[in-house]
Amino acid sequence: MTPLLLRNLLRLALGGAVPACAAPVGLTVLDAAGQPLPGAVVAVYVAGAPAQAPAGTSAELAQRKKTFVPGVLAIQTGTAVQFPNFDTVRHHVYSFSPIKVFEIKLYAGTPAAPVVFDKPGTAVLGCNIHDRMSAFIRVVDTPYFARTDTAGRATIDLPPGTHPAQVWHPGLGADATPPSQPLATAGGAATLTLKQP
Amino acid sequence: MSERFSPRRLQFRIIAFFLGLLLLVQVASLLLIGHSIGVNARAAVNTELRTGERVFARLLQQNAASLTDAARLLSQDFGFRAAVATKDEATLKSALENHGERIGATLAIFADGAFELQAATHDGAERFLPILGRMVNMLDSAQKVALLDGDVYQLVVVPVRAPVLIGWVAMGFRLEESLLREMRQLSSIEVALFTRGAESPGWTLKRSTLGEAVARELVTGWQEARADERVPVDGVTGSNLLLQLPAGMGSPVSGQVLAREMPLGRDGDQQAVAVLMRSLDEARAPYRRLQELLLAFTVAAILVFAVGSVFTARRITTPLRVLTRSARKLGAGDYTEPLPAQGGDEIGELAHAFEAMRQAVQERDERVRRLAYEDDLTKLPNREQFRTDLRDAIVAARGQHQPCAVLMLDLDRFKHVNDVLGHRFGDRLLRQVALRLQREAGRSNDRVARLGGDEFALLLPDADADVAQAVARRILLGFEQPITLDDHTVDLGAGIGIAVCPEHGLDADALIGHAEIAMYTAKRGQLGVVVYDGALDSGSEASLSLLSELRRAVEQEQLRLYLQPKISLGTGEVIGAEALVRWQHPARGLVPPLKFIPFAEQTGFIRELTGWMIERSAQVLHQLHVAGLPLKLSVNLSTRDLLDQDLPAKLQRLVGAHRIDPGKLCLEITESAIMDDPQRALQTLERLHTMGFRLSIDDFGTGYSSLAYLKRLPVDELKIDQSFVKNMERDLDDAKIVRSTVDLAHNLGLSVVAEGVETPKAWKMLRALRCDEVQGYFVAKPMPEALFAAWAAEWAPPAVNEVLLDSGFATLV
Repeated sequence: MTPLLLRNLLRLALGGAVPACAAPVGLTVLDAAGQPLPGAVVAVYVAGAPAQAPAGTSAELAQRKKTFVPGVLAIQTGTAVQFPNFDTVRHHVYSFSPIKVFEIKLYAGTPAAPVVFDKPGTAVLGCNIHDRMSAFIRVVDTPYFARTDTAGRATIDLPPGTHPAQVWHPGLGADATPPSQPLATAGGAATLTLKQP
Repeated sequence: MSERFSPRRLQFRIIAFFLGLLLLVQVASLLLIGHSIGVNARAAVNTELRTGERVFARLLQQNAASLTDAARLLSQDFGFRAAVATKDEATLKSALENHGERIGATLAIFADGAFELQAATHDGAERFLPILGRMVNMLDSAQKVALLDGDVYQLVVVPVRAPVLIGWVAMGFRLEESLLREMRQLSSIEVALFTRGAESPGWTLKRSTLGEAVARELVTGWQEARADERVPVDGVTGSNLLLQLPAGMGSPVSGQVLAREMPLGRDGDQQAVAVLMRSLDEARAPYRRLQELLLAFTVAAILVFAVGSVFTARRITTPLRVLTRSARKLGAGDYTEPLPAQGGDEIGELAHAFEAMRQAVQERDERVRRLAYEDDLTKLPNREQFRTDLRDAIVAARGQHQPCAVLMLDLDRFKHVNDVLGHRFGDRLLRQVALRLQREAGRSNDRVARLGGDEFALLLPDADADVAQAVARRILLGFEQPITLDDHTVDLGAGIGIAVCPEHGLDADALIGHAEIAMYTAKRGQLGVVVYDGALDSGSEASLSLLSELRRAVEQEQLRLYLQPKISLGTGEVIGAEALVRWQHPARGLVPPLKFIPFAEQTGFIRELTGWMIERSAQVLHQLHVAGLPLKLSVNLSTRDLLDQDLPAKLQRLVGAHRIDPGKLCLEITESAIMDDPQRALQTLERLHTMGFRLSIDDFGTGYSSLAYLKRLPVDELKIDQSFVKNMERDLDDAKIVRSTVDLAHNLGLSVVAEGVETPKAWKMLRALRCDEVQGYFVAKPMPEALFAAWAAEWAPPAVNEVLLDSGFATLV
């Protein structure tokens, strides 16, 4: 958590109101080679928007066929994440990531208590039983975020203007802090480029 | 013995050849086997070393695998990962220690994703980090032999994921002696570990299974071998090195050792090599036993061969030696002993050939001997053999003080038989005679021999003159039986001379010579059998003295002329006489004619005697004529006289000197004397006849003159042999012969004289048979010449009218 981000969050919380005239903006994320990058998480910091999700916000990271679904989950800070197990075998989901260290030991079905991710950043999730299972949870301090589809595209409803945006991809690693880049909503479409890696 | 095993003997050569051959083969095969054992052992060791290399590599791999397993186990441990996430250094270290101890790892390290050391079991572990980084980046393998501080480690490194990479766990294992020992247990291969580092360029022996004692020798030996083989230090090839390790230093291997280098790893100047070693001697050991066995087998085989070849050589050479001995015997002329029979092999054939040769040589030898000592015609011993036998007999006789006798026999008229009936007939006749003689010489040790021609000899051991004479007479008696061959009947006659040892000589030649002389005497005088007397032998001392005595007798007029009257049967008058010679020896008295006439004939002195006789007869004839008695005188001529060319001239001279009528002198010649040489006799007789002498054939009927021949003889008179006359009174056949002879003579115009008239009966018969003249004791015995005239004056013919003849004779007459 950088001081700048904190400042932005404060500004949003104090005086910012969510503009009523927000419009969808199509985004395309390209990698350094200019190719569409699927699975990338784009977070757009709109001034005045709340950093924390309202209480009760939840998300789900399911386990199907010994795979985390989805492989990359983007959530706003303060979101409670459920880990429903749809497999017949039990899983032991853990995270040693600094933003949230937890483990849900050998369970089947949906655990009773969801895990609330209260810090922004990236958590790497694994299963202690199944080494091959891994998933990322990207926690961002903004309600404007999206994950690119297989064509590297995503759509976010944004108020008009130019906003700082941040693109993260599992290839950057859990600890990386991607640089911020401006995103103009004019024209309803924008292209973002992830330089690393 | 030394000769038997001389190198030139066949036996030795056979043995030496076989043994030499065997030795050669055995030595060659031993060398070959030795060589191939060496090659095989090396190849086997090579293979073992290659296998060993793989085993060692596998061992290292297993080691690495277990290290990897341990590392991986650790890296996946949730607690460990939790400790990593929470950066609990103390927990990390203890977890590393715990897992490292489980598998005996020398060290365990945990580094983060950037190879920053997070925790390690030992100090100084950070030195491994660059190696680990390289290992991971090289991607070749996560395991490696690494060199550090001159020692050798096996390293493995595995990632720690939670679930993304959060760090690396590395485990290290120093290659300890235990590993090398394990290697040795697995493959019987000794292992040594050499290293060299940046600070020490030479190789250092870190550790080996051979023990500390040979470390120095191992290093030097290995380095020298490397230098010898010129194997590049870097490019360690698959080729092996040969080292020599000293024995007796506590090392499990010694002697020749094959070594194979196995590069373990290289890091800059640092280098590690495992040297796998296998003793060649050990590899050869099982073959050694085989070689010893082979050697023992060779020795045994040589012994067996030696015995076998000695046996074989004996089998070959023993019969050869026997043959050699036999051949020497044959060479020395001893053919009697047959060769021992041999087997059916080549030597047996040789022995057979030898035996055949021996028999052939023996046969030829016997034949040669026979030819030399045997008469081929009669199969009797020849003169040579007879002499030998006689010599032996003389020796035996003298040893036993016994006499022994030699009989010499010569057939009468054989030459004539041969001429008339042919040689083949003559040969067969001789064979018959030989058979007869053998029959007559009845005693087992009597010996008959043919000396040549028609001359035979008998050897009578243990026989004196009397026995010999008896045998001789028996022979002659046997000869009276004529021999008939192919319708020819031949009357046999012979003269036999006898000489007796020791009286007549002490050596064989003398005895044979003397017997011969006696035989000639017998033949000449028609005497049948004559025992040798010195007087017969002109060459003997006795003969010489007899000859000089005879000469003296002529000179000193010791000879006397005796006359035996001849009467005419027709008139009964005395018509003449036969002149006979008597020797009035001053000391010995009257010597009988037989004592000196044959001798004179033999020596030729008979010519002197005949000359004396004719001269004396001529004188007597002259005196008788003067006294008014016109008688004729008969004088005997011998063979020698007849052959004397001067005889006619001599007679001519005598007749002239005494002025006598040659017709009054009758010359009597025996039939056999004429037949000795009929041709010359005929010439002489013809000349005498021409000169007017009256000629008479004496002893007619005993010879073999043929009528044809008789017809040609210019004779006037036949004198019938007295044997016929004496027998005619008893034997009608003889009487017939006499009559035939008389008739024959008369028919030929000859007058007939019968001599040996001893009885009135003979007289009467002869007269009846118209014989012309008679002569004999019935008329008068021979009387000295001086008495003859007076006797003739008183002679009156006998009155024989009362004499009666047997009817048979009467008929004949």
